[in-house]
Amino acid sequence: MDALILGIVVAPLLSAALTQLLSGRLGRRVARISIVGLSATFAGSLLLFALTLAHPGDRTLSLGGDWGILLIDPLSVVMAMVVSGISLIVHLYSRRYMAEEPGYARFFVLLDLMTAVLLTMVAAGGLVTLLIAWHLVGVLLYLLLGQETRSTSAYRYAFWTMFTFRLGDLPMVLAAALLHDAFHTWSLTRIFAALAAHPQTTTLGGLPLATVAAALVALSAFARSAQFFTHTWLPYTMGGPTPVSALMHAGIVNAGGFLINRFAPVFVQAGGVLHGIFVVGLITAIAGSVLMLAQNDVKKALGYSTMGQMGFMIMECGVGAFSLAIYHLIAHGVFKGTLFLGSGGVIGEARKDDRVPKDDLYTFVVERKPARQRRPWLLMAAITLAVPAVILFLAHYLVERHFFEQEGAVVLLFFGWITGAQLIFATYRMRSENRVRLFALILVSFTVVVVGYTLVAHSFDLFLYPDPAFRARIYGAAGIGLLSFDLLTVLVTGVIVAGWLVAFYGDQRRLYDRAWVGGLRRRFFTAMARELYVADIYGRIGRRLLAGAERLNTTLGGW
Amino acid sequence: MATLPTYALAALFLPLFPLSIVFNRGLSALRRDWMRALVLLVWPQAGVWILSHAHGAPPGWLNVWAALTALLYAYRALAVREAGIWIGFVAVSAWALLWADPARSHLLAIQALGLSLPLAVAVLVTGVLERRFGAAHTALRLGLATTAPRLAALFVIAILAVVATPVFSNFFVLVAAVARQAPVMPAMALTVLAVWILWAWSGARLVRGMVAGPGRPAAGADLTPAAAWAYAVLFVGLAGAGISVGGLLL
Repeated sequence: MDALILGIVVAPLLSAALTQLLSGRLGRRVARISIVGLSATFAGSLLLFALTLAHPGDRTLSLGGDWGILLIDPLSVVMAMVVSGISLIVHLYSRRYMAEEPGYARFFVLLDLMTAVLLTMVAAGGLVTLLIAWHLVGVLLYLLLGQETRSTSAYRYAFWTMFTFRLGDLPMVLAAALLHDAFHTWSLTRIFAALAAHPQTTTLGGLPLATVAAALVALSAFARSAQFFTHTWLPYTMGGPTPVSALMHAGIVNAGGFLINRFAPVFVQAGGVLHGIFVVGLITAIAGSVLMLAQNDVKKALGYSTMGQMGFMIMECGVGAFSLAIYHLIAHGVFKGTLFLGSGGVIGEARKDDRVPKDDLYTFVVERKPARQRRPWLLMAAITLAVPAVILFLAHYLVERHFFEQEGAVVLLFFGWITGAQLIFATYRMRSENRVRLFALILVSFTVVVVGYTLVAHSFDLFLYPDPAFRARIYGAAGIGLLSFDLLTVLVTGVIVAGWLVAFYGDQRRLYDRAWVGGLRRRFFTAMARELYVADIYGRIGRRLLAGAERLNTTLGGW
Repeated sequence: MATLPTYALAALFLPLFPLSIVFNRGLSALRRDWMRALVLLVWPQAGVWILSHAHGAPPGWLNVWAALTALLYAYRALAVREAGIWIGFVAVSAWALLWADPARSHLLAIQALGLSLPLAVAVLVTGVLERRFGAAHTALRLGLATTAPRLAALFVIAILAVVATPVFSNFFVLVAAVARQAPVMPAMALTVLAVWILWAWSGARLVRGMVAGPGRPAAGADLTPAAAWAYAVLFVGLAGAGISVGGLLL
């Protein structure tokens, strides 16, 4: 297994070197080397996964010293499979997609290097190894986004990405420094063992080490996963080649969820940080979703959609559902990767014929004009609220009966209930020739999704965190006390129900036609369309800093 | 050796503002690349040697001065458009960081070397640019990626090396510096991190100015494949040296 994990990391490096060496001789055919290398890596990852299932237990491989360490554990094995699988698909897609582009061989070299670095990152067993890989992901993404070298704007937005990633690297360097200072080792397994043995260890100013380190790691995760205020790079990097967008959205932006999982033994000692993570994730999920709806540019909207998903993934970590976040990042990666890789074909076909029938569904989804038939609405409202709740509770009850004892799980159930209710409510507002059939189809889909999601999430939980006591500790750390939890639940329910009522009565009494409401909506829409002015503010700060540096250089001259 | 004059002399070789003008002017005056590279390697070693002969650790105010010098030059580097001057500014900024790490003085020479190696190699690459295009200035709008792709690749790697990208030696020096200073002098650790991010910003501006944008492929502008491979081997060696420095410091 040791040789296998090393082989998985080294194979893309070798294919990168061979691709560069033979590019002059083989021309466009050089991509085959890269694809063969990645196929071998993916096969190796599958084999490693099978071996880990057959022989459970963590293993480390030291590449020299205390800091060059690779770790074979369920998390690294699952992530290696995901990274190599997605990368292989991107390689296969790029072979033809990039054929007319300049820098064909360079693109595959960078893609191979990125894969090697991502695999090193997920298998890093030492803090320095993790730092190296974490840092290099940002650098390589910068180069991949700047693939179109004639475009200075591509470099501009690639720089935004790199700068945000670099900002996110720095808290992790500090976290590594403090953990190393406390336990005199760079090895993650030793650090986690020492922290479990001495959870009260303190650091700067007598603060708990676990809390400080967890907060710093969380900051790094936020920057990488485009959480609110560090998100501006994500929607603006759509100018890069489509395969890079696919890789970025499927395998890079979700690294925040991986990082929090990797440091799970630190986070179980830092419940307060988990609450903060939940709040940041929640804000990001809401902001990303709202900003997505306000964009006219489809690619930008996709970027904000990813931001919203990342917010939800981070939120899952905040409620203690760590393994669910991993499942989420994989599901989102596959889903969003497919969307990006298919976007070119869809756009091409839509230019000829959009093939959208101008029926009720079109007017509802595109023109946002719901059909006005709502009888018997009271019955529908009851069904809307009751059906998802029944499905969700039954699914979880069948899979894991103790699930309801965990606050984090209840939060997710609540979210699932609201989403399901919204879905059924939307169905009710649509006009259809066969409403029973439409409703039944949606109900079946919802049930399949919920049961599938519950089963898979539970399996992930068992695989990634086999120790039930540790699983309970994660949920325990994320808990906030029964009274606070109940109060919050009531408050959130109240806000949602109030929102629904306002929407309903606003529509009934034509509230939206009034001038002051219209003005308010326009201002809100402008703020959203301008992305809450966050990018503008950053741009202004950057220009001021550059102007200051120029003035300083003019004043000081050659000093 | 008397302490204050020793520090004053050391401040010339591990340059602190305003004594840094001597180094900056001297580096600009040198015309040959190899001489500049040599100066970048030797200059801080002289400072380390002098510092090692001072009695005790430098006083606190000198550490603050050094931190401010590092920040000042990293900040000034943001607006520099000429690659040679930029390397000089980053060098001053990097070497000033060595002042705050007197506890491990036996490794100071290795730290100084770790910071200098990428700078010395970068100065060789910018020398090639100066010979072929007259200057390594962003105002020339070279569009190097199109004009001279091999040279562009080497330039990008050189800049990445200077801004302390893994696995070059200065990356490990900075990580080691933060690891030692964060628990005892958190402000100094934050200074190192601030300097690091400023280098990355200024380096990216330089890359964008030199490499990106439209350019015309010109005969003879690019390196020959053999020369490009020679430089590539040099960078592989530099990365190997980086890992060795990392092994010593971490």
